[in-house]
Amino acid sequence: MKSIISKIKLVLSLLLIVFVSSCDDDNEIDVVKPVINLIEPENEDILLTGEEVHFEMELSDDIMLGSYKVEIHNNFNGHDHSNFNNHNLYILNQSNQITRSESERDPFAYNRSWDLSGKKNVHIHHHEIVIPKDAATGEYHLIVYCTDAAGNESYVVRHIVIDDAD
Amino acid sequence: MYLRIRVCIAILIFISLHNLYADTISNIFLNEVIVKDSFLDTKKKTTVQSMEIIAKNYIQKRFSGNIINSIEDVAGVHSMDIGSGFSKPVIRGMAFNRIAVVENNIKQEGQQWGADHGLEIDALNVENITIHKGPGALLYGSDAMGGVIEINEKVIPFEDIFFGEFFAAAKSVNESVGASLMIGLKKNNWYSQLRYTEHRFGDYKIPTDTIIYLTQKIPIYNGRLKNTAGKENNISWLLKYRKERTSLQLQISDVYQKTGFFPGAHGIPDLSRVEDDGDSRNIDYPYSFVNHLKAIINGKYSFDNVIFSADVSFQNNHREEISLFHSHYPGQTAPQKDPDKELEFRLNTYQSIMKGVILSGDNVRHTIGVDVQSQNNEIGGYSFLLPQYDRVTLGGFIIGEYKLSSTLNLQGGVRYDIGRIRAEGYDDKYLYEYLISQGYESSMADNYQTRSYDVDKSYKSLSGAVGISWIPFNNHSFKFNIGRSFRLPGVNELASNGVHHGTFRHEQGDPNIKQEEGWQFDFSYDYTGEYIGFSVSPFLNRYSNYIYLRPTGEWSVLPHAGQIYRYTGCKAMLVGGELTGYLKLPMNFRYELAADYVYTRNEDEKLPLAFSPQPALRQTLSFEKSGFNIYVQSHIIGVQKRIARNEDITKSASLWHGGVSYELPFKKYKAELILSARNIFNVRYYNHLSFYRKMEIPEPGRSFNLMLKIPFKAKI
Repeated sequence: MKSIISKIKLVLSLLLIVFVSSCDDDNEIDVVKPVINLIEPENEDILLTGEEVHFEMELSDDIMLGSYKVEIHNNFNGHDHSNFNNHNLYILNQSNQITRSESERDPFAYNRSWDLSGKKNVHIHHHEIVIPKDAATGEYHLIVYCTDAAGNESYVVRHIVIDDAD
Repeated sequence: MYLRIRVCIAILIFISLHNLYADTISNIFLNEVIVKDSFLDTKKKTTVQSMEIIAKNYIQKRFSGNIINSIEDVAGVHSMDIGSGFSKPVIRGMAFNRIAVVENNIKQEGQQWGADHGLEIDALNVENITIHKGPGALLYGSDAMGGVIEINEKVIPFEDIFFGEFFAAAKSVNESVGASLMIGLKKNNWYSQLRYTEHRFGDYKIPTDTIIYLTQKIPIYNGRLKNTAGKENNISWLLKYRKERTSLQLQISDVYQKTGFFPGAHGIPDLSRVEDDGDSRNIDYPYSFVNHLKAIINGKYSFDNVIFSADVSFQNNHREEISLFHSHYPGQTAPQKDPDKELEFRLNTYQSIMKGVILSGDNVRHTIGVDVQSQNNEIGGYSFLLPQYDRVTLGGFIIGEYKLSSTLNLQGGVRYDIGRIRAEGYDDKYLYEYLISQGYESSMADNYQTRSYDVDKSYKSLSGAVGISWIPFNNHSFKFNIGRSFRLPGVNELASNGVHHGTFRHEQGDPNIKQEEGWQFDFSYDYTGEYIGFSVSPFLNRYSNYIYLRPTGEWSVLPHAGQIYRYTGCKAMLVGGELTGYLKLPMNFRYELAADYVYTRNEDEKLPLAFSPQPALRQTLSFEKSGFNIYVQSHIIGVQKRIARNEDITKSASLWHGGVSYELPFKKYKAELILSARNIFNVRYYNHLSFYRKMEIPEPGRSFNLMLKIPFKAKI
């Protein structure tokens, strides 16, 4: 019986070794995602056509931020985006200038990134995103992505509505 | 009688020694259950590789919807759950194309590269399973580098008999009901078996009323994950002829699975889409179905000193994902035919293996073989994920097995493989137009519109393994193995470029990516005493090239995408082990323990690899007496803090499972009634390997499973 007990002890101590070794950590490596605190726009906010978007957020990372990106696309008819055809989209190039517009109202799309390298905490506040005057009104998604210098990424989604001013 | 069994066992020891994996000839001797069990035990001891043999009874007792869930109690094996009822296997931290599932010598070929694709096998049509935890590249080539789950050939009754089995199961967590009927007939040299299985299940229950995904609070109505209902219909027919030196077998099987996707996790969550539709059993959009048709012929002829065998097979895996037509780029309109068919894959696989086993005396045996496989994937649907491709591989191998003494066995072999993969490029013109309209340069739009690169690559690889098993004393056995194995890159790793609709990442292949290669070492020590037994099996795998999805830090310009993730090779290490033990206690009580741990490391980035399993510890206390069995199991899942970039830490959990089974006399047969409960305390926990993990969707809550098995037979 004693030998059995000693064997159990052996088994348990081996088990302990296995589990203790699981506590090893690659501490030097950054796997912590940056934190996005998106203040404006808020969920279900109504953004007006022809106006600038009041965009405000705080970004922080435990080591170093990388960059952030804002992406807006439509969410017409929930997940069924089939209603549009023959579109001539607004050309909203990287410098945010509208280069072409059509009388027909077309969905608005936006995709732009900003560099944050060298920073650990930033407060972002700008009005660089402009909703074109005749953007198709309706539901949109606004997504803010942020990476840190190591490539850890976090993102926040806002359901927004684009509507005319009147 | 005793002597006869011993002689039989002795023969089987010899035969099993010469059987690296399953071989039909050995089953000829398996007419008595007692012998069979001993045979399996002996096989386990003398085979040089670490392996676990799981009996049918065990699989059925632990049955909870699919084959992987039934075997995940085995130390070192984890299940990667797809949600709904489907899972895929993970062995020692390796999954996807790194694990081969083999039935009748033929590797199952589905869409195993996909994180949201399950395994198309009827769990109830499986008799015994052998799990090889080390590399199986020697016999199965590419894809078997992480391990092999081998579905053993069916044991054929010795006498002429008509027999069958009826199995029914119900499960509370998703209100599933299933039944399976098998009938078999053995007459002279012929044997035939037919099985039909059907399951239907509703939306599964999770112990929460809200999940948080992409910082959005998503309500879970009635504690059910909407639209995770599904169904499964399987049919399988086996015909076997055996006479003297000849054995011929044909097995045709078809597995059909259809299941819904939780709409809140398919794209950006929209609250309107997760609202209760009042029906927990309907399969609404989006959903997927898969049909896997498989036909395998195994032939074998034994000369005096040579056993020749040939395995020929055809598999068709047809998968479709159906989601109401949507496009992120204007201009694309719904197709006339099948407007809601988002993705379609039709994968045809032809495989043939020829083997000659040369016996030289009692103690030496050589196997020479050739393995040819040809694959072709056709695609359809309004969306794009994987290109059309074909893949041909040819491998030749030689394996030597030597019984050096009554206690020492040596096995070794080499294998050479060549392979060619050709993928057809694919451009998305709607995407191009969209990007141009957004003001991007045409060169940039051109790069992004290529959803799949043109690939035509050839590979060659030399792999090999050598191992010993040493049984110095009756109850002690040692095994040591060194192997070198490889894996050809998957088509997704070579050719893809674009947003993966399931992971919501821009995933980019690399047409010049190198094949995976690595060395594997494993050791095991087994002690099997009358009252106590345990085994320790540590392993170390080092890969000179291991493919992973690397976050690049470069923003994708595509809608719905953050940074680009690129398939990249790295040096990697996986180290860990399993510990199992049993203790026979007084009064028919028995205690069992199974623990496993894997440490993974991407040596280039000094980071853990993604999808590293959480450590697990299972302790089971059972009582068995005259057909009555009761068990209670404590299942502790450790925290996974060692995460790759953009994974989340998965917390630890402590679960309790239990069950009762009783063999009740039913006419002259013994019917078996099994009642089991999983996650008795309805603990909310997460599985680091689950497809739904990143959406913070917890694992299923408490479930009661009820099973009834009625065997029947009649002599003819």
